[in-house]
Amino acid sequence: MSSQQVADQIEQFVRSRFRVAKGDTRFSRAQPLFEMGYVDSIGFVELLAFLNEQFHVEVPDDVLMSEEFSTIDDIALIVARLSNGRSEVRNGSTG
Amino acid sequence: MRMIGPLDANFGWDGARLFDVERAVPAASVPARLRGACAGVHIAEDRARVIRDPLGINKLFWASGEDGELRFAARPWRLVQAGCPFDGIRAVPPGTAIDLNSIATEVRTLRAPQRSVRPGDSLEYIARRIRSTLDLYCAALAAAHPGTPVYVCLSGGLDSSAATVLARRHFADVTAVSFDLDRAGAPPSADRLAAERLAADLGMPLLSVTVTVESVLDGLDTALVEGIDWRDFNVHAALVNVALARGIAEHCAAHHPGTAPLVLTGDLANEYVCDYKAEQYRGETYYSLPRLAPAALQWVLIRGVETSHREVGPFQAYGLPLVQVYAPAVDHYLALPEDFLAEPARKDRLCQLMFGDLLPDYIYGRPKTRAQVGDAETGRGVLGACVDNGIDRAWLRQRFSQLHGVSDPSLLDRFIRAGRYRSSVPTPGEKR
Repeated sequence: MSSQQVADQIEQFVRSRFRVAKGDTRFSRAQPLFEMGYVDSIGFVELLAFLNEQFHVEVPDDVLMSEEFSTIDDIALIVARLSNGRSEVRNGSTG
Repeated sequence: MRMIGPLDANFGWDGARLFDVERAVPAASVPARLRGACAGVHIAEDRARVIRDPLGINKLFWASGEDGELRFAARPWRLVQAGCPFDGIRAVPPGTAIDLNSIATEVRTLRAPQRSVRPGDSLEYIARRIRSTLDLYCAALAAAHPGTPVYVCLSGGLDSSAATVLARRHFADVTAVSFDLDRAGAPPSADRLAAERLAADLGMPLLSVTVTVESVLDGLDTALVEGIDWRDFNVHAALVNVALARGIAEHCAAHHPGTAPLVLTGDLANEYVCDYKAEQYRGETYYSLPRLAPAALQWVLIRGVETSHREVGPFQAYGLPLVQVYAPAVDHYLALPEDFLAEPARKDRLCQLMFGDLLPDYIYGRPKTRAQVGDAETGRGVLGACVDNGIDRAWLRQRFSQLHGVSDPSLLDRFIRAGRYRSSVPTPGEKR
């Protein structure tokens, strides 16, 4: 799955779960979700649960705290990397 | 390498016996399944063994000094006082045993609890396994601490009542302890009345800790630094525990001078069966929970035990070792099926199976109240006491920041996130 496809789904989730107004011009995939107040600490947990359920990835603790886990685009890159890494391991072990 | 200040008391459990963290010297073997509260730093010349339990019940932090010296402490504020900036402080990752020397680091990952439901396991079977684990753990504690006076925190709810019954069965000298907030001569809370009744029925002494709002709020700094958290739910719980700890320490000094007691609590059972809900006070919502399915919520709540030291920390501050008797049973609770976790009366049902007639009927089915909340309408609880005195979320963040030398409170968001402290494996020789 490409990071673009992952970003599409994350954006859809964030918009509906955290009630981002349709006309909110500040909101974009490049905006930091937490610093801009779109997702609070409880919402953060919900977002992680969504990533786990949807993409079957567990985000490592050190990545959670890093600055790269901030915008939808960044998060999508991380999820795609984790997801693809897992497939590579699976392919490697069976191939 | 240097340890700053004391560690928390250790009550690790390897599944059959207590785990002596003193034996966790560099290169020593570690239990395959370590449960309970355990954190240790064993420094021998230029080598060290660092260990932390998989749930992260006991806390352990580290930072590098300007000279590259690794410094460890059970509280971040101790590292701050030793000259380490808050932003450089990391938790030792829960569930790791780390061997360090001046040039290398070897990390062993300890088996973490995971949700694991086996279709053939009935609720009765799981309840028996939990009860058996609790009994084994309490018996081992009693054998390791003969003649030690024991205090058990008794709110009057199911979990603390069960912990009290267990304490009564396994220890010889047990005093129950009940918290209540003194508000202008109002009658005792329903929790206090239930605690009094249960203690009387069990033939146990009850230490009543009844404190004024002013006295509770005096404990704020202790709650923040020892609780290692600024989030209101955890600070409010820590405030109750500071008051209880103060009361127990005074009582123990008067009745058992020179003796370190054990304090038992029924904590963690709420996380294990998702027995939390948001609360309303003066039109505002507090203690919100993530909107997740029961099994996911159970996992998040258990995982979140790593952050906040609201139980152990306040008692440790008064020299009181705290045992959370439910701690070693986490794996059995994680075997509870999701449909059970969605049942409204799940805790009553499970406790009936675990304790049966050992608990009286008036404890089962009691409406749940929390010492933090008390009576939500009159504010007869710590939540109301804080809010009415301007101690809100922003105040708590600000005060935690001040106490830890943090000039920008937004930095706190990178210290606790999603129920985890910022953590990493200590690296020798890394200069700040």
